[in-house]
Amino acid sequence: MDAPKKPVPVVNPWAKPFWDAAKEERFIIQKCTDCGKYIFYPRIACPHCFSDNVEWVPASGRATVYTYTVVESNAPSAFIADMPYVVAVVRLEEGGVQMLTNIVGCKPEDVRCDMPVEVVFEQLNDDFKLPKFRPAAK
Amino acid sequence: MSKLKGKVAIVGIGEVPTGRFPETAAIYHGMASAKMAIRDAGIDKDEIDYVMPTGALYSPAFNTELVTCRIAEELGLKNVKKNCQIFAGGSSSTCALEIAAALIYSGAASMILFVHADKLGTGVTAQGAIDLFSTAGISAEWEVPYGQHYSAVTALSTMRYMYETGCTDEHMAAVCVSNRKWAELNPNAFFRKPLTIEEVVKSKMLSTPLRAKQSNMLFDGGAAFIVTSAERARDLVEKPVYLLGEGGVVTHFVYSQEPDVSRFGWAKAGRMAFEEAGLTAADMDLAEIYDSYPIFQIIGFEELGFCKRGEAGEIFLRGETWPGGRIPCTTNGGMLSQGHTGAGGSVALLVETARQLMGKAGDRQVPNARFAVETAVGGTYMDAQVSILGTEIP
Ligand SMILES: [Zn+2]
Repeated sequence: MDAPKKPVPVVNPWAKPFWDAAKEERFIIQKCTDCGKYIFYPRIACPHCFSDNVEWVPASGRATVYTYTVVESNAPSAFIADMPYVVAVVRLEEGGVQMLTNIVGCKPEDVRCDMPVEVVFEQLNDDFKLPKFRPAAK
Repeated sequence: MSKLKGKVAIVGIGEVPTGRFPETAAIYHGMASAKMAIRDAGIDKDEIDYVMPTGALYSPAFNTELVTCRIAEELGLKNVKKNCQIFAGGSSSTCALEIAAALIYSGAASMILFVHADKLGTGVTAQGAIDLFSTAGISAEWEVPYGQHYSAVTALSTMRYMYETGCTDEHMAAVCVSNRKWAELNPNAFFRKPLTIEEVVKSKMLSTPLRAKQSNMLFDGGAAFIVTSAERARDLVEKPVYLLGEGGVVTHFVYSQEPDVSRFGWAKAGRMAFEEAGLTAADMDLAEIYDSYPIFQIIGFEELGFCKRGEAGEIFLRGETWPGGRIPCTTNGGMLSQGHTGAGGSVALLVETARQLMGKAGDRQVPNARFAVETAVGGTYMDAQVSILGTEIP
């Protein structure tokens, strides 16, 4: 039996600019023009001050690994063939922004908490590229 | 601060053994538990005026049966005025207790039956359950596409905790061993054979650093409890279990949005509950801490104030949480050994807390247990819910 297809992001309309940019390998996040805080994931209003004045800004793509795990067994069906793979929460250089991602471009056993990483885009299908992270160039 | 301290009490409990019962419908486990709880309270079944089922995760049809009152009809409860589902995942029990208490305190209800049942052990295949828990409560936009699932979620918290505190695999394993010591004495637990640290640390790696024997197992089961006013409770039973304090903190939906995945909101939730009760961790005879994985028992234990951060592993390792130990912890064996029945895992723990305080815990009874702290948590550890319960009102 063929492995089930990879799940694609179920896109909320207000997050569409993020996925459109990712497809062009641009990494953008929201910023509140009232309180100045960065926002991820994209919201309909600033989750810090509830302002409606949120804009899209480019992010540097630099981050550190907050925490990670190597999935070695019992993966969801669509990910069984990928094992071992790394799931991680990274903290972007833009303060207060955390996101879940995969760490790629190194051996899974080489990932560590607090290591510097940088964004890279991985083709998921014709419609999506997923932002993932790899160890930062020295 | 709520006004519920000492105003309501749990007066009856029921529970069926946790296990694999492919021939038995989930509704049976719910009804059997409810019937036991009604008899335990010594009330006429028609005194129940409010039924609060909690949701089942695996079966939409069974869920609609709960929502549409099948429990009340099957049991012939004649004076039910509301059938109202409370569903907060793994924290359903503790959330329902507070809501039930508020309804009774306000006079809107007088005798509430809370009931849970599910069939996660035989209702789904093992891979089906992994797939279910790779989407249920996990963001379809931001986390599902990265292969996130509950073992990985837990591993992420475990990894950061170990990194920050120096806690070891052996410490994590010690939590599993502690829970098994209790499960050995619990006829309703699924895993009752002694477990060693070595067996745990040599078991299959799931998601680093989380191993197979540090993971809860999904089973079929059911549990129920009954809540009424303190005055009515005193007429009914020898040792009503009073709600003395409660606290809660809802932190996130998408796991990555939690800024401190090795603490969550437990310290704040615990403070709220202890302050209302006018008690501290040092006054507790029992710590009944939700334990779908060992890291959450460790975090709960520390953040509620039983020890400093980073010390819990040693305390579990030294046997201080075992039967006969200084601070008995998760005395039914928890989800790691009694087994996990979805939202029911926390119901079982709340029922166990009441059972110990009522003095009905048999071979594992903690002598003279007066005060207990009980916790529950839902989703990807989205909330921290704490209740203080006791047989006296301080
Ligand atoms: Zn703002």
